Amino acid sequence: MSHPESSDFAVALRDSSPVLFGYLPLGMAFGVLFQSLGYHWLFAPLAGIVIYAGSAQFMAVGLLAAGVSYAEALIATLLLNSRHIFYGLSVLDRYPKRGVLRWYLIFGLTDETYSLVTAKTPERQDSGRYYFYLTALNQCYWVAGCALGSSLQSMVEFDSRGFEFALVALFLVLLIEQIRAMNERWLLMIAVMSSVIAYGLVPNQFLLVAIGMCLLVLFWRWSRVSSHG
Amino acid sequence: MDNQYVLMIFGVMAFATFVTRAFPFIAFSRSHDHPMLGYFGRYLPPMIMVVLVCFGLTGLQIETGGRLANATLAFAAVTIVQLVGRNTLVSILVGTGLYVFGIQGLDL
Repeated sequence: MSHPESSDFAVALRDSSPVLFGYLPLGMAFGVLFQSLGYHWLFAPLAGIVIYAGSAQFMAVGLLAAGVSYAEALIATLLLNSRHIFYGLSVLDRYPKRGVLRWYLIFGLTDETYSLVTAKTPERQDSGRYYFYLTALNQCYWVAGCALGSSLQSMVEFDSRGFEFALVALFLVLLIEQIRAMNERWLLMIAVMSSVIAYGLVPNQFLLVAIGMCLLVLFWRWSRVSSHG
Repeated sequence: MDNQYVLMIFGVMAFATFVTRAFPFIAFSRSHDHPMLGYFGRYLPPMIMVVLVCFGLTGLQIETGGRLANATLAFAAVTIVQLVGRNTLVSILVGTGLYVFGIQGLDL
């Protein structure tokens, strides 16, 4: 199915608008925090352009303040972002098979972009151009937030307390829409239990451990299903 | 200020982040029609979404009864508005608006 260009952009703009409310205040928080290190304000949006990972960028502030080695920064980032390894599994079929666009989409596969991309049911697969607009718009919101936070640090009177709920709401809404199209809903209880266990055991590696447990159960389930049928 | 150090750290972190995101695309590029990947592609996203919701909740710093009530109310509001209206943006704005009002307006 091919849409005219403007329509792809309009749909992406509409679909990505919830992320704007999450990324702008979060990016600003990063920018303000980064400015506390005393570097030029352009470094904060630069981090949003080249790294583009919320939790990793917040960690970067701590790493820079501590003056860690490059090897330490490498290992810490690999561990922190290792949950992303599982994300690609679900969008392999949807993304273009080759080209620069493919690699940009992979580069921009944040938690929020992943949520929006997987919220589209496979029957309603959209064009690579739609995914590009979606990914690029999300990154624009994020970079704008980083730049606003660091450049206006002293002037910002914006009280962002409570806005972190926007991302919870986004994930919740997308979950509700995915549940509608899902059988085997007991798997969701497994995900809740995995989260509780991961939070109790290793809150520092919450996402990695919880998603890892989900993956194990899913693998077990798949091997049962495929051997019976 | 040592600008070169910052740029190098950014470069290393950008590389590491991209490696984690690109790994499955490279590792499974020749087997993207494997039935297991189809199964995972179908059931993994809602499970990860549950985990992300839980992760988001842990970040809300729910330390008092008032905050717990506020978060529960906003959570329920998002759920109900989405089930009834099916408009993502409206659901998120209503829930976030309620939550922010509780935190800032009522000073919970």
